[in-house]
Order: sequence, then structure tokens, then C-alpha cells
Amino acid sequence: MTYKNVPAAATSEINLGDAFVTTTVDSVVNWGRRNSLWPFPFGTACCAIEFMGMVSSVFDVSRFGAELVRFSPRQADLLIIAGTVTYKQAPVLRRIYDQMLEPKWVISAGACATSGGFYDCYCTVPGIDEIIPVDIYIAGCPPRPEAFLEAIVQLQKKIDHESRNERAVIGAAS
Amino acid sequence: MSDAIKPGLPADQLLALLAPLGGTKDEADRWGLTVRVPREQLRAALLVLRDGESTRMDQLLDVCGIDYLSYPDWRGQRFAVSYPLKSTVFRHRLTLKVLIEEDDAVVPSAHDLFRSADWAERECWDQVGIVFADHPNLKRLLNHHEFVGHPLRKDYPCQKRQKLSINDPMIDQLAAKLTQLGYEVLEMPVASAGLALTPMHQKETQS
Repeated sequence: MTYKNVPAAATSEINLGDAFVTTTVDSVVNWGRRNSLWPFPFGTACCAIEFMGMVSSVFDVSRFGAELVRFSPRQADLLIIAGTVTYKQAPVLRRIYDQMLEPKWVISAGACATSGGFYDCYCTVPGIDEIIPVDIYIAGCPPRPEAFLEAIVQLQKKIDHESRNERAVIGAAS
Repeated sequence: MSDAIKPGLPADQLLALLAPLGGTKDEADRWGLTVRVPREQLRAALLVLRDGESTRMDQLLDVCGIDYLSYPDWRGQRFAVSYPLKSTVFRHRLTLKVLIEEDDAVVPSAHDLFRSADWAERECWDQVGIVFADHPNLKRLLNHHEFVGHPLRKDYPCQKRQKLSINDPMIDQLAAKLTQLGYEVLEMPVASAGLALTPMHQKETQS
């Protein structure tokens, strides 16, 4: 079997036929990670109802591989904060985030989690990014389930461009 | 099945019951009946309304602190505490109101007269800063334990944020109750926010 216009260095791989795929480790790892997100819902308000809508059959987040909702931070890699977070709750949220294993991602769902929403008062955290890092913000009060799906898709795109070598592990010695 | 609720007393008869305790009608209440009583007569007034054969106000719905700072045309004391009462026997309700000065914001506790007063008074202390004398556990109910100040006071800067470094396991009352029942409660690190009972059985069963 001969090929035209193929550099000489590549021919040896081509001769192996269909038995091999050449790619990068990042591509394979990211493909696996983005298509099997395990969400942990930190639902404190009405946004969590929309999260339930996203998981259930009508909107069906399993089309995007993120349907396996876990209620232990040790079994999840996607933290979804859906609702208002008060200063009294903030240490709990921080602790849950710390208990999740790397790699992990955070979606801030809705106006309250993102900015405090209309709770401009003494007890509400004005945006959970004061406590934990956030990857994707969803607008809305509460956001539609489609907006949640959009956030999952955006996060998948983000994961696709990550590199194992570059991903900073918080607290790890470099 | 409970019996049908009987007709309640008219407002002037309720007022007449509280008149010997210094109760006066609060004209600012245009919808219901609010009676101002002096602080010294508060517990007596609550008892009269709770146990009176013709009143039977057996529900204390809330204990509300009111801050009259910057209230239009207000010349009275700065704080007030109001006790909305309701009867499950008669169809009447009434609100008791006690006015107190800022530098002496103390009211006798009613936790032994109405069980609902326990947490309601804690909330009132937490949010408005009114001290309830002789309350068994006057600690914050809604705000976290590192919070300083009383946020529903009108002079509290409402956008002032107060961060909490570590959460309160909030088991002090539970631990006291378990100790009373014969369990031994161990001190736990605060971060674990759990409760350890050692041994797992009561002391009596161990021996």
C-alpha cells in the first residue's frame, strides 16, 4: 500500500493500519473528563429546582454526560452552586470545595450565587467567588434549564482546552 | 376534631382586663388591637391573657423588636417589643407592646410562659439587640456566632459584611440534653461539626 504526498517520517505509522490512533494525552484525558462530569449540587434556593429540571427527562443532561449527581464531594468533580449563600453557610461551602478531588470545576448558577442577587444586605455573600474559584457563571433569576445546559457545554469547551501539565493544583507545591 | 372557635371578647373588654396593669390602647394600630403595658407588668399581662377564662390567649405568635430611630414624628422611647397573641379557643387576638429606652433595653423573658418565646426572644436579641432578662440561653439565632452588632437596628450599616471563619457546630443545647439523659458527650474539633457519643450506649447499660 502506497500513499501520495505523505512525508516519509509519517509513513511508518500509516503502515500500522487502523490498529493505532495517534493523539496527545491531553486530548484523550480531556475527552474523558468533559464527557463524564459528576455534579455535586449545592442547592440552597430556587435555582436548585431548575437544576432538577435540567437533570430530569425533559431537558436530560445525560445527553452531555453529566447526569450522575453525587451527594458526596469525594465522588464529584463539578460543584454547582444553585442559590443564595449566606456568610453563615460560607465555611460549609468552602469545606465542601476543599473536600473535592482534583480536577474539579465550579458552576455558579443564578444571580444570588454569582453576585448576591437582590440580597444586598448584611448576611448574604455578594458572589461565591469571594470564597471559592468559579469557572462558569450562569445569569438568570432563576436560570432556565437550557441555561444550565449551556453552562455545561461551555464548561466542556473549557475543559477541552486544559492541559494536564498546566492545570494549577491549589495548595500543591510546584 | 376540635370544637368550633367561640366568639371573642370585644376590644373594650380586653382593654378593661389590662387596665389594672397599666394597659393603654395604642392608637397607632388602625387594624387590630394593640395595648401598651409598662415593662414591669408585662409578665403579669401575659399571664392574665393566657390563663383568663374569657381570654385564653394560648399562642404567642412572635416576639418582635422595633427600632423607632428616624421614625417620622416619633417622640417616644427608641425601642419597643411587641407580643402578638392569639387564642385557639376564642376568636380574638391582641398585641402587647412594651416601650423601652435605648440605654436600658431590657425586658423580662417570657420563655417559661410560652415555649415559643425561647427562640423568638433569641431572634429578637440577635437582630435588634434587646436583652431578655433571665433567658436561659440568650445567644444568636440567625446570624453567625462571630457577628458583631445587631443588623436590624436602624443605625447598623446594612451593607457592612461580616465574614465567618469557622462555623458553629450548634450542639450546645443538644449536648446538654444528652448529658442530662446519661450520655457522655466528648469535645469534638469544631470543623468536624459532628457529635461524638462515647460510649455509644447510655452509662447505665454499661455498668
